[in-house]
Amino acid sequence: MDTKNTSIATLFIVVMALFPFVVDSAWLSIGITFLVFAVVAFSQDIILGRAGIFNMGHAIFFGMGAYTTAILNVHFGLEIVATIPFAILVPVVFSILLAGPIIHLRGDYLLVATIGFNIIFEQVLSNDIFGLTGGPNGIFGIDVVRVFGYELWSDIAIYYIAFGLLIITLFVIRNLDTSKYGRALYYINKDEIAAKSMGINISYYKLFAFALGAAIAGAAGSVFAIQYSAVSPESFNFMQSVMFFAIVLVGGSASLPGILIGTFVMFVLPELFTEFKESRYLIFGAAMVLTMILRPNGVWPAKFGNIPKFLKKKVVNKSEEK
Amino acid sequence: MEYVLEIENVSKFFHGLVAIDDLTIKVKPAQIYGIIGPNGAGKTTLFNCVTGIYTPEQGTVKYKGEDITGMAPHKIAQRGVLRTFQNIRLFKEMSVAENIIAGCHTKSKQKWYHSIVHTSAYKKDEMKHWKKVEELMEFFGLSQYADTPAGDLSYGNQRKIEMARALAADPEILILDEPAAGLNENETIELTNIILKIKEMGLGIMMIEHDMDMVMKLTDYITVINFGKEISQGLPSFVQGDPRVIEAYIGTDDEEDE
Repeated sequence: MDTKNTSIATLFIVVMALFPFVVDSAWLSIGITFLVFAVVAFSQDIILGRAGIFNMGHAIFFGMGAYTTAILNVHFGLEIVATIPFAILVPVVFSILLAGPIIHLRGDYLLVATIGFNIIFEQVLSNDIFGLTGGPNGIFGIDVVRVFGYELWSDIAIYYIAFGLLIITLFVIRNLDTSKYGRALYYINKDEIAAKSMGINISYYKLFAFALGAAIAGAAGSVFAIQYSAVSPESFNFMQSVMFFAIVLVGGSASLPGILIGTFVMFVLPELFTEFKESRYLIFGAAMVLTMILRPNGVWPAKFGNIPKFLKKKVVNKSEEK
Repeated sequence: MEYVLEIENVSKFFHGLVAIDDLTIKVKPAQIYGIIGPNGAGKTTLFNCVTGIYTPEQGTVKYKGEDITGMAPHKIAQRGVLRTFQNIRLFKEMSVAENIIAGCHTKSKQKWYHSIVHTSAYKKDEMKHWKKVEELMEFFGLSQYADTPAGDLSYGNQRKIEMARALAADPEILILDEPAAGLNENETIELTNIILKIKEMGLGIMMIEHDMDMVMKLTDYITVINFGKEISQGLPSFVQGDPRVIEAYIGTDDEEDE
């Protein structure tokens, strides 16, 4: 990462860290929403932006995390903090079970299959399966977070939980991008045949992308449930998946600033123009169309070249010689 | 082990049409084996049968004595059979160094959790392979392009990146599909020297090539294919004078001239 990017990243983190002190409660909750959805978008970016899998059912994993926290807390009386590991694990297990049989499908076929999964998921939630999901109204009365005897009920506390999750997510993505697994996802995305011929097991790495994306989305779902103390099916329907899909493509696949911009445009901009709020899909639709025409690689396309400094030095020396 | 790669009586059909017909080719370590023949003769199909892209209907492919017929491409590559492509398949938007380290995939011992938390084992493994990339870039004269997107470089350099990527996997057999296609004279000479150096490392090399000067200069043994069938095989000097080869080439000379 060069100095310019580092300073942009630092500025962003400082602004987000100080944000709760300068805004009112309405803006604070918009801030939380932004953070939670940014995390989900980043997790979708691992699957769609990095591995290049056309996953149109990402709201499933987000919803599974939220419902796992809600069900374990409301029906089984587990502390919220204790539900979080389950909110991560359940989506991971389901991502492998659901994606396993379709992972070899070509992009467009896989996309249709994941839409199917999302529709089934919403139906399962709405039909109060095993009396656990609460039907169309969802589940109410989720507890406040208790840590070491403290009750973290304020929006500021929840904001920092979401902020913490975003920082962890960025940390994981940075580590992913500089690892064998992360690079394998890019290779598969760019050219499957070349990747195979280098010894990369395509299905295995695609499933890995699904599992990692589902884990992070599940954690975000848990925070979402904490924020609203309630969950309901329409927050995790097909349209939500379309949103997360679009954020990645509009913002820029595998681009950290791109995903943040995408999340901002899709979820925060409609709040800025309250008269637009009723028709936020208008902005959403127009932004998608315009970006794809004008900037097919996204508003802020990703840059490659994640290589150690000692390899770059040679480049500098050579150009100085000239 | 006398042969590193043994292709025995391999046939491949597409919708009942014969693409390759009963081919037998055996490559030794430190040998450059040329596959030549007119366009559409089935040379690339043969390579695809060896590397697992296609499964041959008949015959066996053995690598160091192990039957690899019909194995998935990544499993064949993991064993040490690496290739380049006729139409260059690089990860174009990615830097040259990132392209080459792709070849280290099978050698890297990183586990899934190293993509989440970087341990000291990760750091060691990662550094080892970047060092290898550094060496390979020096060998191929690509060091100055380390962080240049591969797609921005000349055709000749892209061919070299593909070869460096394959070598990063420490193969024992290297399969080159028309390495000189699209190269100018200087680039071809440079590449010829590189291939000779690779041979000196003890690798078996199987290559398809249309540039006859290069074939005659490089190869130790040749099989000539036409319409999927072997029409001649032997030392370059023998094949060059074989009337069956001359006939096959004269018959398609118009198409060959570009």
